This record gives sequence, structure tokens and C-alpha cells, in this order.
Amino acid sequence: MSEPVNPSVDPREYPPELARLPPGRHGLPREFVAHNQRERLIAGLAEAVAENGYAGTTIAHITRHAAVSRRTFYEHFNSKDECFVAAYDTVMAQLRERVDKAFKAEEEWPQAARAGIAAMLEFLAAEPHLARLSMVEALVAGPVVIERYDAAIQDLVPYFEAGRKGRSAEVLAGLSPSTEEALVGGMVSLISRRIFADRTAELESLLPDLVEFALTPYLGSTAAAQVARQG
Amino acid sequence: MSREFIAQHQRARIIGALALEVSEKGYRAVTVADIVRRAGIARNTFYENFSSKENCFLAAQQFAMSTALARVVEAAGESDEWPRQVEAGLGAFLGYVAEEPALARTCMVDALAAAPSSVRYYEESLQAFVSLFRLGRDVSPRGQELPETLEEALIGGVFWILYQRLLGAEPIQIGDLLPELVEFALSPYLGAEAARAVALEGEGGSPAPTSRA
Repeated sequence: MSEPVNPSVDPREYPPELARLPPGRHGLPREFVAHNQRERLIAGLAEAVAENGYAGTTIAHITRHAAVSRRTFYEHFNSKDECFVAAYDTVMAQLRERVDKAFKAEEEWPQAARAGIAAMLEFLAAEPHLARLSMVEALVAGPVVIERYDAAIQDLVPYFEAGRKGRSAEVLAGLSPSTEEALVGGMVSLISRRIFADRTAELESLLPDLVEFALTPYLGSTAAAQVARQG
Repeated sequence: MSREFIAQHQRARIIGALALEVSEKGYRAVTVADIVRRAGIARNTFYENFSSKENCFLAAQQFAMSTALARVVEAAGESDEWPRQVEAGLGAFLGYVAEEPALARTCMVDALAAAPSSVRYYEESLQAFVSLFRLGRDVSPRGQELPETLEEALIGGVFWILYQRLLGAEPIQIGDLLPELVEFALSPYLGAEAARAVALEGEGGSPAPTSRA
């Protein structure tokens, strides 16, 4: 029925969170096992990449961390790149959910934008390995990931375009078609540099600067600075 | 011709070949064989100049960045007023990008996907432009209150816009892009209206208003 987990790996070596599925034949539905194995491979990749960097990670690393067989790896993914894409998508789905939830919890746009930025910084600071995976390792993991990376950044644009609503003609005249793209690119650049330098502990302290930078074109510098400093 | 002259030109030639190959195939797919074929040189010659593909790539980045920076500084030096310096500097930068699209793609697009060393170099070279922008704090009424990371963010934003444009197949449209980028860069220091005036003036548009709101 279902594939046994790699019998040569000692179950006592499994990290606790991956130990849910016992080795050997277990009579569980194939879809459940497959889904669980896929999740373990994704988690395994994240751990392997955190240890070895993307280039230095092998499929053996991944399967060891995931406590599955090499054969199982190839049932789910054709390559390391493909497994990485899945891991990347998983991390980004989590991040998107947090940001979107925080944004939508606020009624007024300035506070919503602030909440969204704060949620992003909080997530990245709390999960430094996932931050590196999604913003550092992602860049060298092949063209498919790079495309997703670019798209993920561009996906932030609507949160700031929303700031145009209800503004005076004068304010709108000060904006250009590429304003939101530039704002988002600038914010990500700041965040990215610190993740590259393993300074994720500093990320949350960027909040006031990022908020002021992003909100100034819509609110003016004084009002933007006020929102930036809100507790 | 001196040995040095030939060597310099050989390096430039190899770098040019790398840029063409990388912009066409992407960094990972390019081999040293591709580069030597494109450059029309012997494999030995490549290895006399560079130890590896990665090493050659880094040299290409350094070459492009130092050339760009020199042009920016020269253009900015032609004006006394900081806003005009920014306009001229950005214009020079865009001009270089438009002139050398393969090298620009290589350094601004492929550099991010090449190797950790190239990304690190890219990030650090952006910082060279920070000092040019920081001068704006002296002429801004809000100079003291501006966020500490403002210049970093502005440069990151400008580069992101250029990166997006370089991803597309069409050549950079300096005429459209320059005023937008000038406005974006100057607004935090001067306010949107004054920034827009400088951007439009650069285009040979209407002169800046004499009164300020």
C-alpha cells in the first residue's frame, strides 16, 4: 500500500516535529502519507538550506532531514530546484496570510499599511532561516523561483496603491505610475540587506523608517511621521 | 602597444563577452567555453585574466559599477545645486544603462541570481550612491527629521524600477523614466511640487515656479 519511510534512519534521530509518521508500513491512506511526506521534504529542505546554503545542499541532505527515502523524494519532486519552489511557496503563503490579515484588521489605510509592514517584519525577524530562504537563497535557486520572488514583491503594490483613494488632486499629481513600485522596491531593499547580513534582529526596528518612507507620498511628511511613531 | 594596454583591452573584451552571454542565457547556463567563443580568444587567455566564471562575473560588476559611478559624479559635478546634481547624475546613470544593456542586465538582474559574492557586491555598490543623496539633507527644510535609512530606501527603489524595466525586452525609455525617478528621489527632501519642477525642467519643460507653497 504505502511506501515505508527510509528504514535505515533511526527514528530516535527524527526531529520531534517530523516524527509524527512512524516508519514501516502503516496502512494509512496514500494521499495522507504523500501529503505528509511532501511537508516533511519541504521542512527538510528548509533545514538543509539553512545549514548548507542552497548550492551546498544535496538531495541526501534533504532526505536525511526529512527522514524519508531518496525514492520518496523523487515521487514528489524531480529536482532540488523543484523542491525549493515548493518550500518557497509554502513560506510565502504563510507570510502573505499574516500581512493580509494585519492589513485588513485596520479600518484606516495609514494604520493598515503600518500593520502590514509590521507583520512582515515580525515574521521575518521571528523566522530568520525562513527569511534567508525566501530572500537570500531564493535568488540562486533558479529562474522559476526568481520569477516568483519578483512577483511576490510586485504583489505588495496594491497595499500602497490603496493609499491613493480619497487624496487631493495636488497629492495625486505628486505621484507617478511607478511610485508604488519604487516604494516597495525600496522597502524590500532595506529588509533584504539586513537579512543578507544576518541582522534579522534589527528588522523590527526598521518599522518607523519604513512607514514614514512609504506613507509620505500620500499623507505628507508630518502626518506620515506621526503614523510611523504610533505605538 | 604596451603589454598593459593589450591586457586592459583583453579584460574588457572578455567582460563584454560574458555580459552578452549572461544576458542571453542566464548566469548558471553560461560556461567558460561560451565566453571564450564569444570573445574570440583562447581558453588560456581567459585563465590568464580570470580564475573562474564567478571571478570574471565579479570583475564585470566592478567594471560596470566604477564606470557608472564615474559618469554620475562627472555629470553631477557640472551643477552647483544639489537637485540639479541629482537630475544630472540619474540621467548619466540611465544613459549608461541604455548604452550598455547587456552589462546593465548582467549587473542588475543576473547579479542577484549568480552567486552570494555577486549579490553582496551589488548591495554594497548601491551604498556608493548613498553619499550622493545624503547631500540633500543640507538643502532640505526637513533635513534633520528625515529617516536615517531614507537614502538607502530611495536608491533601492530606483534600482528596483530599473531592474523591472531591464527584465522586459524593450530598451530603456530614458525620456519617460528619468523624470519619474527624479521626482521620486527628490520629493522627500524638497516636497512633491518642487521635486516635480526640477524633473520637468530637466526635460526642458516649464521653468520652476518662483514662489513656493
